[in-house]
Amino acid sequence: MKSANNSKSILEDDGEEEEFEHFDDFTLASSWERFISGIEAVCRQWLADGPKNLLVKDAVPVNHLKDLYKVKSEFTYAMKSYCLEYYFATVDDGKIPDWDHTLHDLQLSFGVIAPQSASGVVLDAPESSKLLSAVAIALSNCSCLWPAFVPVHDPSRKSYIGIQNMGTVFTRRFEADRIGSQVPVKLMHLEGLYELFVSKFAYTAVDWSMNHFEVHFKMKLTYRTPIYDDEDEIHDPDADITGSSENPEGEIHGKTQWDDDLPWSKWYSAEDPVKGFELHAIWSEIIAESSLDMAELENASPIEADKWFLCPCLSQHLDISDGSAIGFASQLHLLVKALEMSSEAKFIEDFVSGSETLKSSAVVPPPTVLDRVLKDLFHEVMEAETGSSPAEHKSSRSIKGAPLESLFAQFCLHALWFGNCSIRAIAVLWIEFVREVRWCWEESQQLPRMPANGPIDLSTCLINQKLHMLAVCIDKKYREAEGHTVGADESETTQEDLQIPRDISASHGVSKEGSGRKNDGNDAAGVAESMMLLKSRKIMHAPITQDPPPMTEDMHEERLKAAEALGDSFSFSAQLEKEILASDMSAFKAANPDAVFEDFIRWHSPRDWENDGNEEIGVSKSSVWPPRGKLSERMSDPGNSWRKIWNEAPAVPASEQKPLWDPNREGEKVLHYLETLRPCQLLEQMIFTAFRAAADTLNQTSFGDMKQMTIKMEQLYLTIASMLKYLHAQNTTSDIELLEDLKRLCTTFEHIENLILLAASLHGKFLQSPYLAQAIFSDCYNFYLPNMGTSSADAQVDTKREFNEKQEIKARDRDLILSMFTPPTANQSWRKVLSMGNLLNGHEPILREIIFSKRDRVSGSYYAASSPKLYQQDIETYRMYVSGTSNDLGVALAVASFD
Amino acid sequence: MESSSRAAAEFDYLFKLLMIGDSGVGKSSLLLSFTSDAFEELSPTIGVDFKVKHVTLGGKKLKLAIWDTAGQERFRTLTSSYYRGAQGIIMVYDVTRRDTFTNLSDIWAKEIDLYSTNQDCIKMLVGNKVDKESERVVSKKEGIDFAREYGCLFIECSAKTRVNVEQCFEELVLKILETPGLLAEGSAGVKKNIFKQKPPESSDASSSCC
Repeated sequence: MKSANNSKSILEDDGEEEEFEHFDDFTLASSWERFISGIEAVCRQWLADGPKNLLVKDAVPVNHLKDLYKVKSEFTYAMKSYCLEYYFATVDDGKIPDWDHTLHDLQLSFGVIAPQSASGVVLDAPESSKLLSAVAIALSNCSCLWPAFVPVHDPSRKSYIGIQNMGTVFTRRFEADRIGSQVPVKLMHLEGLYELFVSKFAYTAVDWSMNHFEVHFKMKLTYRTPIYDDEDEIHDPDADITGSSENPEGEIHGKTQWDDDLPWSKWYSAEDPVKGFELHAIWSEIIAESSLDMAELENASPIEADKWFLCPCLSQHLDISDGSAIGFASQLHLLVKALEMSSEAKFIEDFVSGSETLKSSAVVPPPTVLDRVLKDLFHEVMEAETGSSPAEHKSSRSIKGAPLESLFAQFCLHALWFGNCSIRAIAVLWIEFVREVRWCWEESQQLPRMPANGPIDLSTCLINQKLHMLAVCIDKKYREAEGHTVGADESETTQEDLQIPRDISASHGVSKEGSGRKNDGNDAAGVAESMMLLKSRKIMHAPITQDPPPMTEDMHEERLKAAEALGDSFSFSAQLEKEILASDMSAFKAANPDAVFEDFIRWHSPRDWENDGNEEIGVSKSSVWPPRGKLSERMSDPGNSWRKIWNEAPAVPASEQKPLWDPNREGEKVLHYLETLRPCQLLEQMIFTAFRAAADTLNQTSFGDMKQMTIKMEQLYLTIASMLKYLHAQNTTSDIELLEDLKRLCTTFEHIENLILLAASLHGKFLQSPYLAQAIFSDCYNFYLPNMGTSSADAQVDTKREFNEKQEIKARDRDLILSMFTPPTANQSWRKVLSMGNLLNGHEPILREIIFSKRDRVSGSYYAASSPKLYQQDIETYRMYVSGTSNDLGVALAVASFD
Repeated sequence: MESSSRAAAEFDYLFKLLMIGDSGVGKSSLLLSFTSDAFEELSPTIGVDFKVKHVTLGGKKLKLAIWDTAGQERFRTLTSSYYRGAQGIIMVYDVTRRDTFTNLSDIWAKEIDLYSTNQDCIKMLVGNKVDKESERVVSKKEGIDFAREYGCLFIECSAKTRVNVEQCFEELVLKILETPGLLAEGSAGVKKNIFKQKPPESSDASSSCC
């Protein structure tokens, strides 16, 4: 029994008001009459309201079905409570498409819109007839053309009887039933079904075997692609919980996974979002005249069907984050939780040796796993992996993390999967990581995955900058240790790696193999152009100069603060830059002992040397000596600081100068930073880098030309970048709002990760027909998008909708689809006995739906005499809908007759 | 920028501006002219110079940190790091020397693409030394064309006569104030919740995918 709800009382109230508008006989005798009158009142109300008002009142949408709503009301009769439901569509164009998933199954069965049913209890046949009569009387009292249905028997039989007053003398009766098992052999085949239909209007057995009847026939067959690899679904739960071993190393099963070639497979193996496909093959409008036609159709291949539609079967969690799916998003979520906890201790070590509760709650993987991670990070580095990845997204740099292939980014990705990314596991991994870095430093071993030269990229996170700095320090230290015997050799090597400043000589196209090398040392990198010194008839040599010291962002920050402190004192000129200038001058003097200040300016700042006459800078003027010209006004100023520095600079080649920076000191500072890093600082930078590296990894996925996805990726980067901008603040961990935002960011990430998986899967399956993959993806995208990007709570609202967009398959793509239906192996085919026809590559349809219909030309004479017009039109007098397989058959019959 | 939040009391926004261009085009003079109303022949900048100026524009108290870089090639690798976090970049050329103009597109624009970490950052093209009108070789139209092509603001000025110097910096700063992304960066510790606002992605998606 259903309990009454609020809508009941409201409707009844309205019903009473309604009664005053009509004449009603209140002297109702029996309870039966009162019951009918109750139904009538409600129906009148619904009729009067119309769909629009009902929508405003209390109509609820029917799940799965778009544009279909229902209202209901409850009645009591003979100690039993019944429920009356009224289904209506908001858009009623009167046309019913065949085979539309948006139809209620009653609509499908009978092809009538707005079914009305009294349901809620199991009824036996006499009781339902009684109910149906009651409803029919009520409906005809309000001269309403709605059909009414009453369920009979067990609900699983989907058995209904129904009646519809068609406004004339015609009445249409409905009847539906289902055989859930042991379908008679006769009804397994089209012939038998045809005969069943014909038997409904051909009254004698003789009749139908002798005569041919014109029967309209439509058929829809549904096939499902064979499940790819059922056995592969076996999941190793331990692997996920400890986050250990298997994932990073790849599969232990030895079986190939669908995502083996895809970029995330190094970290995790995802479930294929596309479980398979359903193919709908449709024959529309065939006129069958005998059961022989049917036998022929039974053997027809679906290839001959008029239309093919393809519908992907998607795994359920595409738009629902139930937390069970493992992916970057789930791990990033754990990382955010770790960030939340990171403020609980001042030192990273505290998390390792910390409280008992922490120890018990967070499992740290065994040492073997730790060793493997460290080995992967530091030792198993492919040559190609060093340096930044070539396919970096253009917006990637706007996230202040480390580049994907860098040491710290790889550390972060490992951390995501290490011990379920708990703060304790991260602490353990970090301590070992720093220990390994220190070892590289002490042993002067090159840091893996880090460039040992080039400017430090300040758009990356500080840890990455520091590691880059350390790599440069290690390199310099190593060279210094190697090159005690300073000689031509050293200048060769340094020359190569200090490309940029040295380009001054190189860019002028003078090779140092020329006459440039002077007898008195290795202090010249080459001849500067074909410039001659002013005061002596000698060729000018471009000196080897010292590298400017690499600087990380905190060092710049210090300089900025120093500069700000001096800000008012009018002229800040950085000490460091002065030292570099002085060093250059010393080196120049050493390379060109006879040089004067003007020579240096001609080499270093050519614009401050003004040639007399028409000679342009850069034009060879070796023929004219001495070159004529003068310093620019600002250089010749008496108080010029350049000249002052020049005067003070001793002639010392770069190799003998005091170094501009000390790699030992800077390297040790880097390690100090790493070793004393506060947990929240580490976690903050890990968040940046992990988001960036995860996005970069996903971005490497090839999904063909799917515009929406490209846009989504771009948006993901921008969202991450703009979101994480606020993570710079000091009190991150206490900022609850920010943490909430980060969690939402994870949800956003998950949606996009799911979409990427889907796109990649579709792309891989339709390599020959990329436009088909795009079309199916677009359908999915448009279907799921409304739920995505919102928070997880909002996403719950509408989860019951099912994706069922179909894509029509053009003739040229049928082969591709066909190839997805791999013929069953011998092993598979003995399992089931095939009992239906219409095989597709040996697979029988999972569902066969047929509509038989018989049309009769009716003329006015059938109508009541009052009907003024003479109708000359076909009406469907018999219609039978058959749906099911060979052992589960549902049949629904509608018969129009006149009484 | 972290420093912005610490000194919240003195100003509403802190903007970092960067001046680049060939050596001798008058970057330092321009800066000096703006910050201290003076003009004098300056020694060529060694590496980098730095000035702070407080201004009030559009009702906001602003602190401008202006970095003035040296144009010499030798310093270029060093100055590359100053592009970081700049909300405004001023590209200066000398209207009397064509090469300083062509180098902006050949060299300096590329440097910006390479080193600037701020995608929204406002660029401004400044033609200096218009006081030497008789020696002018780069026409105003050429400057405008370049600015249009490169998507930046344009002004001609003279550090010597102080024509348009104030306007140059003001216009740049006003433009930064109009750009929400830059404003958020420079603001003294105010943060907004991007999720509470309408997420930008949905509107973009609907407009751009079909």
